[in-house]
Amino acid sequence: MKTKRFSPVMAIVLAIILLVTPLLTSCGPKVADTTKVLKIGMMTPSTGPVPEKGIPGQHGIQDAMEYINNELGGAGGYKIQVSWRDSAYDPAKVATIIQDFINEGDILFTTHSSSEMKMAQGTANEAGFPGLATFISTMNLHPAKHIYGPTPDYGDDFVALIKYYMDNIWTGTGKPKVALHLLSGSVGAGTLDGANAMAEELGVEIVATEYHAINTTSEIESLTRIKAKSPDVLIISGVPASTAIIIENAKTLGMYPGTTIMCASASFTKSLVDTVTAQSGADAIEGVYGVFHTVSWEDDVPGIAKAKEYCMKNHPSDYGNMDYLSTWATCLTIREILETAVKNVGYDVLSKGNAAAWKAVEEQGIQKLKGYKVEGLQGGTITYTAGDNRLDKYLRMYKVSGGKITPLGKWEEAPLIKYTQYGDK
Amino acid sequence: MDLPSGTRNYNYAEDMAIFRTKTHWFLLFALLVILFTAPLWFGNYWLSIANLIGITIIAVTGLNILTGYCGQLSIGHAGFMAVGAYTSVILTTRFNLPFLVGLICAGVMAGIIGMIFGIPSLRVKGFYLAISTIAAQAIIIWVIRGWTSVTGGYTGLEASPASIGNLILKSQTSEFFLILIITIIAIFAAKNLVRTRVGRAFVAIRDNDLAAEVMGINLFRYKLTAFFIGCFFAGIAGALLAHISRLASPEYFSFTNSVLYIGMIIIGGLGTTIGPIFGVIFFQLLNVLVTKLSPALQSAFPHLPGGFTSGIAPMLFGLAIILFLIFEPRGIAHRWQLFKSAYRFWPFSY
Repeated sequence: MKTKRFSPVMAIVLAIILLVTPLLTSCGPKVADTTKVLKIGMMTPSTGPVPEKGIPGQHGIQDAMEYINNELGGAGGYKIQVSWRDSAYDPAKVATIIQDFINEGDILFTTHSSSEMKMAQGTANEAGFPGLATFISTMNLHPAKHIYGPTPDYGDDFVALIKYYMDNIWTGTGKPKVALHLLSGSVGAGTLDGANAMAEELGVEIVATEYHAINTTSEIESLTRIKAKSPDVLIISGVPASTAIIIENAKTLGMYPGTTIMCASASFTKSLVDTVTAQSGADAIEGVYGVFHTVSWEDDVPGIAKAKEYCMKNHPSDYGNMDYLSTWATCLTIREILETAVKNVGYDVLSKGNAAAWKAVEEQGIQKLKGYKVEGLQGGTITYTAGDNRLDKYLRMYKVSGGKITPLGKWEEAPLIKYTQYGDK
Repeated sequence: MDLPSGTRNYNYAEDMAIFRTKTHWFLLFALLVILFTAPLWFGNYWLSIANLIGITIIAVTGLNILTGYCGQLSIGHAGFMAVGAYTSVILTTRFNLPFLVGLICAGVMAGIIGMIFGIPSLRVKGFYLAISTIAAQAIIIWVIRGWTSVTGGYTGLEASPASIGNLILKSQTSEFFLILIITIIAIFAAKNLVRTRVGRAFVAIRDNDLAAEVMGINLFRYKLTAFFIGCFFAGIAGALLAHISRLASPEYFSFTNSVLYIGMIIIGGLGTTIGPIFGVIFFQLLNVLVTKLSPALQSAFPHLPGGFTSGIAPMLFGLAIILFLIFEPRGIAHRWQLFKSAYRFWPFSY
């Protein structure tokens, strides 16, 4: 009897799924037919294993696009229409989302993470569909094809961290011993690429390389192995949640203070500080170094004022979050790309949303970028250099001080590294 | 086979036929016409969804043979897919072997690895076997990540597009036809397998392995055969996934996927050929629906916690599994069977 009562409910649920799904898709493109807009696709991992990065990133996109369309008049006089999707950090989903963006007639796309881009870049590069990843790894950019980084990559993070260490912290003789704790995936792989390519030149010795999973709950075992090698520096390249675990475990094992802890850009954000502080107290993260590609929330630059205004209005809990700021800056870069493309080829070419439009965005937009200052949010200027798909090449060091991420010194340029394993010549 | 009122079989061939009546043949023809003309009215996006559905159906059909028919619970199926993916990519890119050779080798290699991990199935079953297959998943992915010189480690391996002779299958449409044909072959093979001596042995082992052994069924041989066949399907699916994604990466073959595949056969209907098809379509369309709906919901309810709307998919899928386990443990396939019975006896279905 129970199954009979359940039958209509199940039939209705199935019918709704089967009927509503195609209807939703068919409803999408009609908006673009009646309004002159520039259509782009953006995805963030708002669910899945890294919502602490994806959600602020998603909010940054929403708020930046509101600002761009309402106050800056869009790009080249046309509003930017964003198709936002949650990738859930799921490779299969990323692959279908890319097809969705292509199908909708989007003229470029972005991912929040390098892992999402890794899954998307095969299709995108083959089709010539230009894409940007807010956080980008070496494997996304090398060899240079149709994927671009609005910021330096994780290999550059390693170089910036070690340069700072050598210039400002290291007082010993010989080569300092460096241990790497890497997130398994494109984030950790990027930092490892940088280490393999540049460690010798920078004068450091890599004494340990350990990996952690994105959902790790304890790294006591791997840190015990690292501790046995007595490293001078521990470089962590992970996401905020995994990095927090490693920092807490390092303190538990008595490695910190003592060993200098430095974090790559993917993890160095407010949620890292908040998580460690909540679980182990503020002392556990005080003095940890990190590298990042945007200014801090306390910097006095034009872009911060607007970001603060929109953040406090729409998503106050994201105040101080670097992922929010990163996607905000990426949105401004996208606006500049589209404005340049509109100026060079006109709206009609871009509005077609086809291969010709992608080519125009890439060749007459991205590759024509020169000297764009991103309202002061990034260290260098957004400039394209042939053969180097990093549009900005500057990083800045930060330190957790008084529970806040505080900038240290000036911006450092990240030179282009050739990665032969990816086919660089 | 259930037949409409007034239809009966007069010989063995009729009794064994999968498509028996004119209506069956008409529906088959209509379905094939719809499927093979799908690229005419589907955009690339829906074709990419269809491709993913096809690949998942192949993998889940293999799991259904292993778990649904033979009763050997495997929670490491994504790991066996990974074996197939890497085998095919390595053979086609490093050894320049044709795609079809790579594809077959992918299935065979995954089958062999599956048999190795299936050896404990003679001594352990149920919960304990599930744990040993989880170990298979962990070990396979660990080897892939660590054996950098062969597998590319965390970076993965770039895969070439599928090709047959000089024909390179790069577009969504050509990939769709390839996957569709292989999916049809896989379903047809699975349907026929369970009607053979081997298939009946699988069912006997599932229902009571002691009784099956007393009847003269060699448990070790048939259990390993089930592992080989189930993992062969997984290997084929993994190879197809790698070639259409242009990448073999451990991230495609997570433990979560292995668990989801179990969920798909539960929802679709364990131990039926059509069950995996229903289960996969249900899950993938639910996923698409939530992906499409979440931006609209986010705009409509801006004060919902971030990620709430897009987190609905896993919640709904989990809820669906629970509801099916409580109310319809035989899955959608059973409902389909009831519908067909009602149709056959209409207007006297009561």
